[in-house]
Amino acid sequence: MYQPLLANRYLGSRIIPLIAVAAVALCVGLVIIVVSVMSGFLDMLLNSGRTLMGDVIIRYADPGIPHYDRLIEEIESRPEALAATPVVESFGLLKLPYGNRTEGVQVWGIDPASFDQVVDFKDSLVWSEAPPEVQTFAAEMNGLEIPTFDESPRLDPGPEGGDPGVILGVEIDSAAKVRRMDGSYEVKAPAFWMPFRDVEITLIPISTSGALEKPDNRRFDVVNEFQSGVYQIDSRRAMIGLETGQRMLGLEEAPIYDNRLLDETGELERIGTYPARVQMILVRAADGVSPEALRDAVDLAYAAFAAKIDDEDAMTIRPPDEAFVGIRTWREQLRDLIGPVEKERELMRILFSIVYLVCAGLVLSIFWSIVHEKTRDIGILRAIGASRPGVLGVFLAYGLVIGLVGAFLGALLGWSVVVNINAIHEAMGEPAPSWTWITAFALATVMFGIAIHASLQGGMLRTLLSIVAALLLAGVGTALLLHRGFLMWDPAVYYFNSIPNEVDWSSGILTMAGAIVFSVLGAAIPAARAADTDPVKALRYE
Amino acid sequence: MNASHKRTSSETASEPVLVASGLRKTYRMGRVPVQVLKDASIEVRSGEWVAILGASGSGKSTLLHLLGGLDRPDRDGGMIRFEGRRVSEFGGAALNTYRNRSVGFVFQFYHLLPELSVLENAMLPCLVPNRWISATLPLLAALIGGGVGAVVGSTFGVDILPTADAPTPSKIALLALTCGVLGAAIGVVLFQIGQVLAERTRLRHGPQAATSRSTLEEFGLGHRLRHRPSQLSGGERQRTAIARALASEPGILMADEPTGNLDATTGREILDLLKKRHDDGLTIVMVTHDATVAEYADRVVRLEDGRVVETTA
Ligand SMILES: Nc1ncnc2c1ncn2[C@@H]1O[C@H](COP(=O)(O)OP(=O)(O)O)[C@@H](O)[C@H]1O
Ligand SMILES: [Mg+2]
Repeated sequence: MYQPLLANRYLGSRIIPLIAVAAVALCVGLVIIVVSVMSGFLDMLLNSGRTLMGDVIIRYADPGIPHYDRLIEEIESRPEALAATPVVESFGLLKLPYGNRTEGVQVWGIDPASFDQVVDFKDSLVWSEAPPEVQTFAAEMNGLEIPTFDESPRLDPGPEGGDPGVILGVEIDSAAKVRRMDGSYEVKAPAFWMPFRDVEITLIPISTSGALEKPDNRRFDVVNEFQSGVYQIDSRRAMIGLETGQRMLGLEEAPIYDNRLLDETGELERIGTYPARVQMILVRAADGVSPEALRDAVDLAYAAFAAKIDDEDAMTIRPPDEAFVGIRTWREQLRDLIGPVEKERELMRILFSIVYLVCAGLVLSIFWSIVHEKTRDIGILRAIGASRPGVLGVFLAYGLVIGLVGAFLGALLGWSVVVNINAIHEAMGEPAPSWTWITAFALATVMFGIAIHASLQGGMLRTLLSIVAALLLAGVGTALLLHRGFLMWDPAVYYFNSIPNEVDWSSGILTMAGAIVFSVLGAAIPAARAADTDPVKALRYE
Repeated sequence: MNASHKRTSSETASEPVLVASGLRKTYRMGRVPVQVLKDASIEVRSGEWVAILGASGSGKSTLLHLLGGLDRPDRDGGMIRFEGRRVSEFGGAALNTYRNRSVGFVFQFYHLLPELSVLENAMLPCLVPNRWISATLPLLAALIGGGVGAVVGSTFGVDILPTADAPTPSKIALLALTCGVLGAAIGVVLFQIGQVLAERTRLRHGPQAATSRSTLEEFGLGHRLRHRPSQLSGGERQRTAIARALASEPGILMADEPTGNLDATTGREILDLLKKRHDDGLTIVMVTHDATVAEYADRVVRLEDGRVVETTA
């Protein structure tokens, strides 16, 4: 069998197979990088949506869901649900302790314990202890008390009173700290460090009839900051206690009076209790339960809950009719956000299929020239009795090896770029370190020396190549010298504060398989053409 | 090794091995047909050395190519028989076998494969015949690799799918398919690597290598076995080419101006070498424009105006 032997020799004795391998590897690597970042972006969006709001969201904005604790009980009794947590939500004004800054924020009132069960909130807390720079500062300011950080922080003030607590999105305060490359924060201005400070939050309650009531303004102690990874949320959400939130928004339990009836003391007669309400309930699915299945279970739970309340107590406020309550999976809830990105990704896929086809064309043309050069060999083989499929086999083997090696090198290239993409991006955002351009200029000088040496010796090719290399290196050096850094990934635009760095292997494998098929076809088509011509014609070919 | 040729020319000059009659070959230069062979007939007897003498451009190579099965005559353009079988009607497989086993062809321009060593070039005809196993094994490797890939792809495909992509059956199927392609590619390449490693010893020390080695040694190329053709002189290349032509012990050797590219001394060496083989019983058809070269032959015919003209024996 001569095919592996010949393919092996063809591969080993020329530079051009290396060029083909490089072309294949570049194409595969390029596609893997772009598709991975796009896919990773969408994935991060979806995953963050899920960790931010659980698997299923029950939402009834105004006037909220009464008896929500009963609903949560009902939901948690279902095997599909792992945990559920109540949330009140409102827009509010946040007054920062410096620069007279007031920002519009989205305020969530949460119950930290159950909230953590649903969305793993603890993991997103930024501070577990004061960083060293803050401790140094506190020591210098002698006597400044260093705050401690509780794993499950108290947000609502206890019976003994005191200020309520707030957990701010980490990007709301941008004055005191700088984000490091690894995602942690360095406190640049400890005096402004949020956990040292208080903020003021103003919420505007809405009455049951929908009218705006008197704004409620309170002082909050910053107990921690949270980082969800989604810039839009980290830069404008503040978490306060559920009870505080309910009280500020007029959603707490309240007596109902009949304003026509006075009791014995002359007060309005209390005829019932208006139960506390929340606007949202976030539900987390049990392991292995899809959000869709959980949504159906929550639907049933809601119906059962509403029926029970009706049966038990005709006098109380009834839960809103199911038809008006939004019960959605996180995917449905985020549709507005996900939809455009999904479309964008499809567009990218189409665009990159075109880029990929162009790459395939490049590979095909490289193979065409390689096989072209081997036409005489094919004629010889045919003249000594090799069959057409046999000759084809040589080039199938040849294309296969190039495709496979190129595909794997490309995957390696794509993987290493994608995994380090944040570091690369970070490095590009800075001016180039001086050793890089000094090295480039030094190498350019060396190459120039080699060029002079070669021209003295009369080596045209070596002279030419050395001059080209010297110019290239000088160009690279100049570019590095002039490079002042630029930021491509602006978190304010792309939601996230880091670039997705996981390889989308499903697309990666598809790309690799495609590269192999193209390489094999690229080698086989011209080879088949050569094998089909008479050996005499192929031999005349010079 | 040359048992089949061990007959003297005088004994066996009776039975014709190769018979061609009424050969016509027309080339088309653009729209103008040029009839190079008009009615060429030739008979070669077993053990005979026939020289076809003709001017440059008279169609000698064309005729030899037809005889060697490298090209076909025009439609209804005559008939070629080799050992009683009609070469002109051979299909693909039979024609390949004819080129490989019945004929040894020597070209004016050597036509060695530049990437193979002298020894490998010389034994190449023994390597090219299709054995069923040579097509089956890579296929088997592809099937096994593809199967493993497809199973792996369909089992673990869900895990590598991005969250954004719902794991629909068609997506899993596509993943299984692509993993199958990758697996098949890996399977075949592994098989090839194994094959190259396994054949390494066989290529140097197998029985076919031994035959070619002794031929090359006989031709004075014993010290050149591992060299590449580009490292050889013209004469050495042509000797390698002759060794290749003799590798499958063909019934007839066809040489197209074997000395045409060599100086007189080297040419004579080549011809002496052929003469020695001829004396051992090898049947030779040789084409040349050089009357002194033709003198080596038992019989000389002339190719004139597309026809073969007998001359004095
Ligand atoms: N493939 C071809 N296409 C067109 N003309 C050809 C082709 N091959 C050979 N010829 C022409 O046929 C004639 C005979 O060629 P050839 O058999 O090579 O002659 P010789 O070997 O006697 O020098 C020449 O005129 C040549 O130009
Ligand atoms: Mg010729």
